Order: sequence, then structure tokens, then C-alpha cells
Amino acid sequence: MTALLDVRDLSVRFAMPRPSLFAPRPHLEAVRQVSFTLERGEALGIVGESGSGKTTTAMAAIRLVNAAGGQVLFDGEDLLGLDEKAMRARRRDIQLIFQDPYSSLDPRARVADIVREPMDLMQIGTPAERRRRVGELFELVGLRPDQMNLFPHQFSGGQRQRISIARALATHPRLVVCDEPVSALDVAIQAQILNLLARLKAELGLSYLFISHDLGVVWHVCDHVAVMYLGQIVESGPRDALFETPQHPYTQALLAAAPSLARRKSRGYVRPVKVSGDPAGPIGQRTGCPFAGRCPRVRDLCRDTAPALTRQGPTDVACHFPGPPD
Amino acid sequence: MTPLLEIDNLRVTFDTRHGMVTALDSVSLHLNAGETLGVVGESGCGKSITALSVMGLIPQPPGRIAGGSIRLNGEDLVGAEPARLRSLRGSDVAMIFQEPMTSLNPVLRCGDQIAEAVMLHQNVDSARASRLAVELLDRVGIPAPAQRARDYPHQLSGGMRQRVMIAMAVSCRPKVLVADEPTTALDVTVQAQIFDLLNEIQRDVGAAILLITHDMGAISEMADRVAVMYAGRVVEQGKADDVLDHAEHPYTRGLIDCIPALGRRDDTLREIPGVVPPLHLLGDGCAFASRCAHADRRCLAQKPVLTKWRHHPVACHAVEEGRI
Ligand SMILES: Nc1ncnc2c1ncn2[C@@H]1O[C@H](COP(=O)(O)OP(=O)(O)OP(=O)(O)O)[C@@H](O)[C@H]1O
Ligand SMILES: Nc1ncnc2c1ncn2[C@@H]1O[C@H](COP(=O)(O)OP(=O)(O)OP(=O)(O)O)[C@@H](O)[C@H]1O
Ligand SMILES: [Mg+2]
Ligand SMILES: [Mg+2]
Repeated sequence: MTALLDVRDLSVRFAMPRPSLFAPRPHLEAVRQVSFTLERGEALGIVGESGSGKTTTAMAAIRLVNAAGGQVLFDGEDLLGLDEKAMRARRRDIQLIFQDPYSSLDPRARVADIVREPMDLMQIGTPAERRRRVGELFELVGLRPDQMNLFPHQFSGGQRQRISIARALATHPRLVVCDEPVSALDVAIQAQILNLLARLKAELGLSYLFISHDLGVVWHVCDHVAVMYLGQIVESGPRDALFETPQHPYTQALLAAAPSLARRKSRGYVRPVKVSGDPAGPIGQRTGCPFAGRCPRVRDLCRDTAPALTRQGPTDVACHFPGPPD
Repeated sequence: MTPLLEIDNLRVTFDTRHGMVTALDSVSLHLNAGETLGVVGESGCGKSITALSVMGLIPQPPGRIAGGSIRLNGEDLVGAEPARLRSLRGSDVAMIFQEPMTSLNPVLRCGDQIAEAVMLHQNVDSARASRLAVELLDRVGIPAPAQRARDYPHQLSGGMRQRVMIAMAVSCRPKVLVADEPTTALDVTVQAQIFDLLNEIQRDVGAAILLITHDMGAISEMADRVAVMYAGRVVEQGKADDVLDHAEHPYTRGLIDCIPALGRRDDTLREIPGVVPPLHLLGDGCAFASRCAHADRRCLAQKPVLTKWRHHPVACHAVEEGRI
């Protein structure tokens, strides 16, 4: 059976302002030849630091940002080749949940209307059917029917995220792109939303493209994980393999950096894998490995030749010298 | 040994459109020389107000320190002259904020800002202060510090700016460093660098750190002791290991269990139901009662006080009565 989403060599470039009048226009290579697959009913996590291209990758995969190259097969059909009308029909299968439940909801609309709007836009069902569906959705995400006529500001952050989830589910989508869906929430509220997302995935057979910089969150929600660095996937694989036996030094550094209850100051904890510096910008052409500038294992080869993503044991790794940390 | 910093029974109120609210109530904390005290809790529980009280920076009005004391080396900062507070800030106590841009001057080169801070508190000429600034930038791990000293804050990355702020904060070797969510805006690998740097600085300078965070993982890695706050009160306090391994208060347990920790196999996370109640709706009972599975009539009627229990102090009727 084909995967729900099969992304091949996806690239995105943004045009930058010219440095001078007659200079060639520089481009920012935000996503470079990214490939991944997402199976039905599964969640693929995309992790990486700010600016690594997580959002742009997801947006290009569902055609909300223009791709410079590559292929996106949704259920075997090439999304990037669809005409406008066919793409509009596809939209009901694909929905989005954003990080910020404050700015993604229209402050002047009642929440029942907010949740119903995607069905109105796509003309799904009769008005009575749409109203009934709103009631179902409220129950599904744990909101009370008496809250339907309130406005977004009358809800807490966690409840607003429930409203965006209800809205995203209105059209019975098969793929939900979740872009940092709990990053703006307090830890206690995060757990409520993560449990809800896990339950909906199991009950409705949803597939998630799940973006987060929080490895614990990704561990909890995702079946497969891809690690991005400066526009490229540097390692990907099944969740347990990636977290337990990471092969790429960047994945190892990310795991070492994530704060953990297992590390105690009292026991003289010293971080095992350290990286120095900040990621360089993704602008322009580059030769060699994107991580070379910060990598503890860097050698001359890494600066000259970009490593390709290849299977190394349980994960796919783009590194000339993969393996456990020294 | 008397603690370096001792907050006793602190009460801070704000005038709001809902009337007067109590943002901090009966808060008692202490910080010993050279140690790190972590203060943890959800948004709005009073962490920043605690930090600002120590710095003498509560906006008054609408805020007011309505009771209690904050003693630094025995000297009470509550009611101290503004001039005295100004001279303590920077020299004895310094603060690192979540967003460095709020405290860096955007039109001043980084090196000059640090040099200015140095000259304010130490008797050195400007050439010497500039040299010290470059040394400090080097100390906090900024590459090519002499060049970076000539950069303006906006020319630096978020992690670099936070380093500049740390350099400025430690320029006068403060005894107490207050760090209010110093890494929330940063990527995890950069956060790890900043945490490692704070620990190194503590070893070098011997500063005591008041670390404010909402992240129990950060507490585990950074803190010697921890105070858990909820709705303006300290609900549990003790050695970090004690509190993490033998959490007593249902709120503390909830905060630990709701983290989607790496490697944890549970399919569903423990939730803390509901939300933190707004300050103007706090009643006579325990502020956590509405979210607590163990709450009974006494919890709704009477506020529990922080009392030493088995391992460490806890404010919970259910713990005290042996119901949990
Ligand atoms: N519309 C745009 N025009 C120009 N550059 C852009 C645009 N959108 C994104 N970029 C750049 O592309 C790169 C990748 O950005 P993206 O938002 O995908 O990163 P991200 O991994 O989602 O980061 P974050 O964790 O901060 O959300 C960044 O360098 C960003 O500045
Ligand atoms: N100027 C003010 N006027 C009225 N109330 C205020 C003011 N400043 C803070 N408060 C209230 O004091 C309480 C404690 O706020 P504080 O900023 O200390 O929370 P916090 O624990 O630092 O939260 P966060 O994690 O969001 O930073 C909050 O309920 C807040 O609404
Ligand atoms: Mg993003
Ligand atoms: Mg705060």
C-alpha cells in the first residue's frame, strides 16, 4: 500500500533582496532536497532548532508555500502537479494546527462559527448537518455545548487550542499538520492537549506531521522522527531507534541538551556531548556538511563533501562518521 | 550560618480593575552563598514578582510590598532608600531577564554597555573598563570578543545577546544572580550552553543563583534546592533531590508527572485538570483545591500553611492528615 504522504527531494528557496542594483539576487535555501514518508495512522515528528526549516518543509509539502523542486505524493497523487480546482478539493483532507492559539482564532467570531467555518467554505453538508457536526466536535475535544456562543478571549490558552483542534477536524481530514501545537502552553496544560491529540489519532486514525523543538513531546506523540538542521534532514528513523541509538552527532547533541529529570546537579552532572556556537544562516550555496561548523567530530572530508542520507543500522543518517558518541 | 538572602513572609499586592489582589502571600525563601535555588511553577504563580521584589523593581503603584522582609546579608531591602537599592543592583544583586533586548540598550555597542556597568560600580577609568568588558565577553564564551564588543545588540544572535547580558550581570561579581527564565527564548543546544555557563560562573565567582523556570528538567540539572510556587504561595520546598524523588504536594507531583519525559513509556500523560485560578477569584481555601483529586471540605475552607513534613516543608492538608 502507498504511504499517505511521500515527499521526495523537496526544496524551497526564498528570494532575498539584492545587495546592490546589478548584483544577482541571492536566495535563501530554506529546505534542501528533503525526503520522508508518513504512513496512515502514524505521526512523523520533525525536530530541529529555530530556522532549521521545519515549518517551511511542512508548508511546502501541503502546498501552502511554493516548492522550488521535488515531488509530494498524497495517497499516491502528485499534489504539486494538481490544478487549483483539484487542489481545493484535496484541502478538506489536510488541516493545520498552529502554535499560537491566541492569534490563529478570529477574535470577533463566536467559537461555534469558527469551528464551522471550514465546512462553510468547502460547502460540506447542509446547514443543519454542519450545526450538528459542530456539536460533535465540541464533545470530541472536551468543550462544553454551553460554551459555543462565547468568543475566543473568554477561553484559556488550552481551551483555545481545543477550539483550533475542533476546527481542524471539521472536514474529517486524514492528515493534520501540527506546528508546535503545545509550545505556547504551560506544562500542565500541554499534557491535556497531548493526551487529546493522542486519543484523536487512535480513535479517528489520523496521521500527523508533527513539528516541535521539544524532544519529550515528540517522543510522546510520534512513531517516526526526522531531525532537521539548516534545511536538511540529518537523521530519521523509528522513534525508539532514533532516541535510544542516535547515530548523528547533532541528534546526540540535541538529546544531551534537552533538560531531564534523570540528570541531577547533586550527582555532579556534566553534559556528555556539547556543541559550541549557533547554527549559521541557511543562505546561499554550501559545500560540505551543514553541521560541520559545530560538530565535535568534524574532519576535512566533512567541510568538502556533503554526506547523503543513507541507512546506517536502524536509522537513516547523513554523516561521514556516524556512530555512538565517543 | 545565616543565609545570604532571606525572604520572610513576603506579601505583594496589586491594584487592579478587580480591586486589590495578592500576588505573593506569605512567601518565605532563603538562598545560601554559592548555591542555586530553583523557583518553579506555572505561568502567573508569582515567580517574576518574587524576582522583581528581590531587585527592588516592583512597579509601585500599582504594586506594593504589603508585608514581610527581604534581607540581603542581614540588610532589609524592603523600605530601603531608592538610592541604596540602585547601588546594590549591579554590585550585590544582578538580574538576567528572559528577553535580553528588554535590558540591553539597542543604540549602544555591547562592549560600551558592559564598560558603563563596570564604571558605575568600580573605580576604574574608561580604558580599563573597556578592556574588562572584552575580558568578560571572552569569559562568557563569545568568539572574537574584541570585535563583538563593537557590535550593537541587534547584530547578535539570541544566544549571544543572552551571553552579553550575563557578562554585564556578572561584571561586578554580584553575590546574588537572579535569572528569570534565562533560556526560554533560546534553542535547546544554546540553552544547554547557557546553563553550563551559569554553573561555571557560579564556581568561579561564587555567586548564589535564584533560577526561575517552569521546567522541572532545568530544576533537576541546575538547582541545589527548589521552591514550588502556586498562585502566589510556596507550596513545597526542599533539597532538589528530595522534592523530585519524594514530591508530596499533589501540585508538585502533577508538575513532575505531566512532563512528556524522554524514555517514559506511559501512553497517557498524567494531567493536572483545569487552569490556575485568576488572583481576584482566590477564596479562603487552598488555591489548588479546584484542580486537586484529594481536596475535601477543609481544603476548600482553609489555606494550608507550609509545614515541615517527612522530608521537607509542604503546604497541604491532605499530606498533613495522611490522606495521601
Ligand atoms: N517567507 C519567507 N521569506 C524569506 N525567508 C523565510 C520565509 N519563511 C522562512 N524563511 C527562512 O527560512 C528558514 C527556515 O524557516 P522555518 O520557519 O521553516 O524554520 P523553523 O524550523 O520552522 O523554525 P522555528 O522553530 O523558529 O519555527 C529560516 O532561515 C527563515 O528565516
Ligand atoms: N503590574 C501588574 N498589575 C496587576 N497584576 C500583576 C502585575 N504584574 C503581575 N501581576 C500578577 O501577579 C501574578 C504573578 O505574576 P508573575 O509575573 O510573577 O508570574 P510568573 O510566575 O512569573 O509567570 P510567567 O511564567 O508567565 O512569567 C500574576 O497573576 C499577574 O497577573
Ligand atoms: Mg516553525
Ligand atoms: Mg515570569
